[in-house]
Amino acid sequence: MADATVQETPQTTAAVGGMGHSVKRKEDPRFIRGQGEYIDDIVLPGMLWLDIVRSPYAHATIKGIDASEALKIPGVLAVITGADLEKAGLHWMPTLAGDKQMVLPTDTVMYQAQEVAAVVATSRYIAADGAAAVLVDYEPLPVIVDPFKSLEPDAFVLRPDRGPDKANNHIWHWESGDRAATDTALEAAEVRLSEDIYIPRIHVASIETCGCIADWDAVRGQLDLHMTSQAPHVIRTVLALVSGLPEQNIRVKTHDIGGGFGGKVPVYPGYVLAVVASLTTGKPVKWIEDRSENLQADSFARDYHMHVELGATKAGKISSLKVRTVADHGYTDSAADPSKFPAGLFNVITGSYDFPNAFVEVDGVYTNKPPGGVAYRCSFRVTEAVHAIERMVDILAHDIGKDPAQLRMENFIQPEQFPYKSPTGWEYDSGDYPRALKKALDMIGYDDLRKEQAEKRARGELMGIGISSFTEIVGAGPSHDFDIIGIKMFDSCEIRVHPTGKVIARIGVQSQGQGHETTFAQIIAEELGFPVADIKIEYGDTDTAPYGLGTYASRSTPVAGAATAVAARKIRDKSRKIAAHLLEASEDDLEWTNGKFSVKGSPDKSKTIQEIAFAAYTNHPAGMEAGLEAVDYYDPPNLTFPFGSYICVVDIDRGTGQVTVRRFVAVDDCGNIINPMIVDGQIHGGLTMGFAPALYEEIAYDELGNNLAGTFMDYLLPTAVETPAWETGKTITPSPHHPIGAKGVGESATVGAPPAIVNAVVDALWHLGVRNVDIPMTPQKIWAILNEKGVTA
Amino acid sequence: MHFEGSVEIAAPRSRVWAFVIDPVEAGSCGPGVESVEASDATHFKARAKVGIGFINARFVLDGQIVTVTESEVAEVKAHGQAPGSAVDGTATMRLSDRSDGGTTMNWSADVNIAGTLASLGARLIEGTANKMIGQTFVCMKTKLEA
Repeated sequence: MADATVQETPQTTAAVGGMGHSVKRKEDPRFIRGQGEYIDDIVLPGMLWLDIVRSPYAHATIKGIDASEALKIPGVLAVITGADLEKAGLHWMPTLAGDKQMVLPTDTVMYQAQEVAAVVATSRYIAADGAAAVLVDYEPLPVIVDPFKSLEPDAFVLRPDRGPDKANNHIWHWESGDRAATDTALEAAEVRLSEDIYIPRIHVASIETCGCIADWDAVRGQLDLHMTSQAPHVIRTVLALVSGLPEQNIRVKTHDIGGGFGGKVPVYPGYVLAVVASLTTGKPVKWIEDRSENLQADSFARDYHMHVELGATKAGKISSLKVRTVADHGYTDSAADPSKFPAGLFNVITGSYDFPNAFVEVDGVYTNKPPGGVAYRCSFRVTEAVHAIERMVDILAHDIGKDPAQLRMENFIQPEQFPYKSPTGWEYDSGDYPRALKKALDMIGYDDLRKEQAEKRARGELMGIGISSFTEIVGAGPSHDFDIIGIKMFDSCEIRVHPTGKVIARIGVQSQGQGHETTFAQIIAEELGFPVADIKIEYGDTDTAPYGLGTYASRSTPVAGAATAVAARKIRDKSRKIAAHLLEASEDDLEWTNGKFSVKGSPDKSKTIQEIAFAAYTNHPAGMEAGLEAVDYYDPPNLTFPFGSYICVVDIDRGTGQVTVRRFVAVDDCGNIINPMIVDGQIHGGLTMGFAPALYEEIAYDELGNNLAGTFMDYLLPTAVETPAWETGKTITPSPHHPIGAKGVGESATVGAPPAIVNAVVDALWHLGVRNVDIPMTPQKIWAILNEKGVTA
Repeated sequence: MHFEGSVEIAAPRSRVWAFVIDPVEAGSCGPGVESVEASDATHFKARAKVGIGFINARFVLDGQIVTVTESEVAEVKAHGQAPGSAVDGTATMRLSDRSDGGTTMNWSADVNIAGTLASLGARLIEGTANKMIGQTFVCMKTKLEA
């Protein structure tokens, strides 16, 4: 297909299974039979276990560590402390964000559940017994859990290691847009509103926790690291740089991964400790987190305190947006953002609307909490941005008495404005926002719902309708702006066609459940006409896959998907030469249709791609290299901008404060679609992961810094019982710069869903004087509001 | 967490005072205490098993009894650790004579619980701690009145 044309229907047969076919997932037979291979399934000969001693205190001095009782336990082989690591210079490690993080502390612990020592033993149980027997003498220090208190001039300095020039808890300041012009526009605005919006800490809570097996072979000088990572190549390079081991002797293998969502991008101390333990003992060492360790110590997401101001005319035409943000990063900035973007892509905050002026600033702050700032199924802080703008637009609509759908329609960037330059510097590739919202309004029957709401309100019932018309920004990213610790954010694909017309392709991205073994095969099927069944996709073994930056931020299809299409086209170019040779025709006289080259005007004179593949090894033209393979490292010219319009209907119980999502319509536009079934699955999962933080999830802390959500009893995830039945629809607006016009979809729904739900709840309560409710909107929180307003049943 | 209360003890103040500044006597009434031994006249070590919800932890505690005002105000400071958990607490006992010859003990306690016990038992911790601390002073009353 030509670049970026709309592909509404499949161009290949179902047997080939190219783009647009709902091909069943090639990975599912092993998953549904319980035959997947996850880290904890792997047992190597002579393997040892590692368990971690964790700090009860959120901030304390370590006065001593006594491992003598632990070492008396039969089967406990070693106890590793920060002092041991310090001898090798390994007690600190760099973070992806250019800060540094303790592997094990030598003197101070900075958050509750921080790693303090590691115990290596012959079984997991003995390792756990050993960890319980390590005695650590702590002297508690003042704890800071509130980032605003952390910024006060007399606040305890949490990171004295940064030197006397940085004797405060402020990490960085980042801003984007035109402050002066925005201030002027705000001053002049007829309507000016402001709101404080907080998005709390949440946790990706993958079904599979993190873990690894480090396997050092001293004879071969080879380190194999089997691990749960969304970015294995970057891990290999960082390991080589930190350890001094030659990079060709480090092999990172990921196997199957039970959910990533951003939480398996960072390097956690447990991985490093397992490597150190294997290097020390010469045996394979396994480390697997338990659920509470995962919830208490792994990287968090969100934790953005936003103060948002919006200016508009009385008629509802928006003019200016200003956002001041305090970002709580815990004790170190280990966010997995591109290096030049400490607040990720947060400045896409003007969203789907044509703002003449905008200014956004973010200040990163240290507190006594675990480090992080990972995504939770979102492209680098887009969720926070979308939440803020979709809330503000809704508040404006309610304030001036205009229907929120109408106000959005009047302020959307219009289809003819693309490519659209945003006031904070992004160039949106394509979009048709009115069409998506119109479709969602039609699907849900908006006008009838508004009538129903009016009738119910008259009877005192609480019903609300909320809209979110989000714009995502994904596919990081173009090399001129995007790198992680200096490594450009390209991605890759290598395709080899075997003589019998079968294909193996290896990609630089990773699958954590996305279905890449299917969708990437469909891209090749689309481009080359090989049936999907004949194409094997591999990833996650750094010895074989081409270098790539990994899977997060919805970048697989935008970047590695593009590399796959381009590599396939390189193969098609060579195939054309071979076909011309076989058909004794000029290359220019050949046309490509349905997996074969035929001579123009003589359709019976043709060679299939399978015949060409065989000839590539048996009868290739003189002067041409044998074989049929290609590799592409794709540097995207721009990001892609998926979008959608979601509408949510809620009913609120006056007696209990319980919010019930009665209906939820999601119209998504992710450009051309590779596999409609997989896209639907991504949207269903994404919506559920947007529904969850809107109503349930929060990592809360007490004033001592204790994590109050250390199990699934307290960190509440919705089950199928709570989750509403999603109604999905689509429009297709291809990306003009992507080889197959695709945009990425993994995160759209997680980003777009929460503000639709909040907008619906506030819509139900607006007449009571409620302007905003921060997530999670628990029954307790809503009940307290109803009680305050005197309307509890 | 801050707790306070008072108990009426049918025993003279001198007897109550002798009890509360004796590490073994007073320490044995502590929450979940299984054993206690005095290191000297004011310091003690204790082992205590504490359960909150489904979480159980066996603490090793170091305690100290401080006389603030002779025969009137005593303070107990304790620091304890269990695997993954820690507790730091101070309890103040203020004694006064009753007209019937008994003693009123007004007590207050500030307790910080850190780590696994606080994290996993968060929803239950305040109620449980309140109950256990209350039991400590009821235990003293019972022993003194026996």
